[in-house]
Amino acid sequence: MSGGAVRIVVDEHRCVGAGQCAWVAPKVFDQRAADGVVVLLQPRPGPDELPYAREAAQLCPARAIRIEDDPHEDDPHGDAP
Amino acid sequence: MTTPLRDAPDVSQSEDSAVSADALPRCPVIPGQPDFPDAPGFPMRRDDPLSPPAAYARARKSAGPCRVTLWNGTQAWIVTRHEQVRAILADDARFSGRFGQDGFPTVTEARVAVDRGERAFVGMDNPEHDRYRRMLTQEFSVPRMRALEPEIARLAESLIDELVAAGPPQDLVGTLAVRFPSLVMSALFGSPYEDHRFIIECAAARHGLTQSVGTATSKARELVDYVRRLIDAKEAAPGDDLPSRVLQAHVHAGRMTKDELAEIGAMILRAGHDTTTHLIGLGTLLLLRDDAQRARLAADPAGIARAVEELLRMVSPVQFSPRRVARVDVEIGGVTVRAGEGLFLLLGSANRDAAVFPDPDALDLGRDAARHLAFGFGIHQCLGQTLARIELRIVFEAILRRLPALRLAVPFETLRFRDDMQIHGVHALPVTW
Repeated sequence: MSGGAVRIVVDEHRCVGAGQCAWVAPKVFDQRAADGVVVLLQPRPGPDELPYAREAAQLCPARAIRIEDDPHEDDPHGDAP
Repeated sequence: MTTPLRDAPDVSQSEDSAVSADALPRCPVIPGQPDFPDAPGFPMRRDDPLSPPAAYARARKSAGPCRVTLWNGTQAWIVTRHEQVRAILADDARFSGRFGQDGFPTVTEARVAVDRGERAFVGMDNPEHDRYRRMLTQEFSVPRMRALEPEIARLAESLIDELVAAGPPQDLVGTLAVRFPSLVMSALFGSPYEDHRFIIECAAARHGLTQSVGTATSKARELVDYVRRLIDAKEAAPGDDLPSRVLQAHVHAGRMTKDELAEIGAMILRAGHDTTTHLIGLGTLLLLRDDAQRARLAADPAGIARAVEELLRMVSPVQFSPRRVARVDVEIGGVTVRAGEGLFLLLGSANRDAAVFPDPDALDLGRDAARHLAFGFGIHQCLGQTLARIELRIVFEAILRRLPALRLAVPFETLRFRDDMQIHGVHALPVTW
């Protein structure tokens, strides 16, 4: 791991809608109106938001948030499998 | 209620010198030890009403879970370290949380009956758990709870208006800590506020440590029946409330029955009263015992968010849940927990683990306590935690602002704590100002 670019990946199937992410990092995460499942607003948050996104990943009770090195920094469609 | 503890473990006699050696549990520090015949009785008594039992601190010094003996002579494990509590709660592949199964540990005979009667998703494993929980999560989502903030703040202000008008001394638990979450739940459910005494009575029958099996089961049934009638009323005359919305979105769509919603509604009503009430009571007491930190917080309301997390960490009102049964043999800290054995995940102990929270027994309203486990962890983590956080921020901010001279009206030593209940708290908090 380095200080390089990272991206956030969420797993909607694991999510239990506890809302910790939308609580600590509301600019990065929201919750779907229909079922409270996580909505990723910013897959590549800037330096101001990244610490909050990291805290959200740590607090997520379902471990549904991962922060990964971003191998496709220049590719806006480099989404997770 | 508690069984006296015997036989000190040979782990760290250096600390807690005020606790006599015969008050210490025996913990399995040697992997593979086949049996622990003198596993101490559980639950254990609190020596200090504002801290978990001193025995938990001893248990945290052993590498893995410790065996305890329950009311019926069976044994279970207590897990006391933050890292292990968190890991087990996150591991539903190897640990089941299904209520009432063989080996599921309990603190009373009544709780066995309550567990067997539980039909809401608090007592389910996945995939059933997620199917039901997801029909309720949006009711407690951050955006929805944020939208309720002005109304919740108005309720807090009006209760403190009443308190001020009545004049000191007053019991802060009976006047504010009970009524505030009751009013919030009443608004959320579109249910008559006057019913809150009945709801609290039903919750107490479930969460007591001394009630009979008959009382526990009949009160559990009565509360479900109450919510079932409320659902019928909402079906006839829908409102802007939780039962009406879930009826429309899920029951009428055929995804959930009205009976299932009644079970879930009862679970939410119980959970929405007790825990918040006693966080307010004990949280206020902690603030009243530290004038310097209270003054700093009153002068800096922006610090309230951090302070609430620290109060959640320190109070941790849920004492004997969550619980799990190992599905397979699992090694935890060098100790083998066998398939079928039960575990108590002690949130209050995890929240006093010095490996995560330096100087863990000290109230430090400025610390970053966000990793506390007061709401649990894993798929069963508290559904209403955002609502609880909002309620607690609002009520503690209002108490500090409107009652700056608040202090205990009786000596601390005369306070009666809820040693008879599974949700910790103080029965009454006489205050003056």
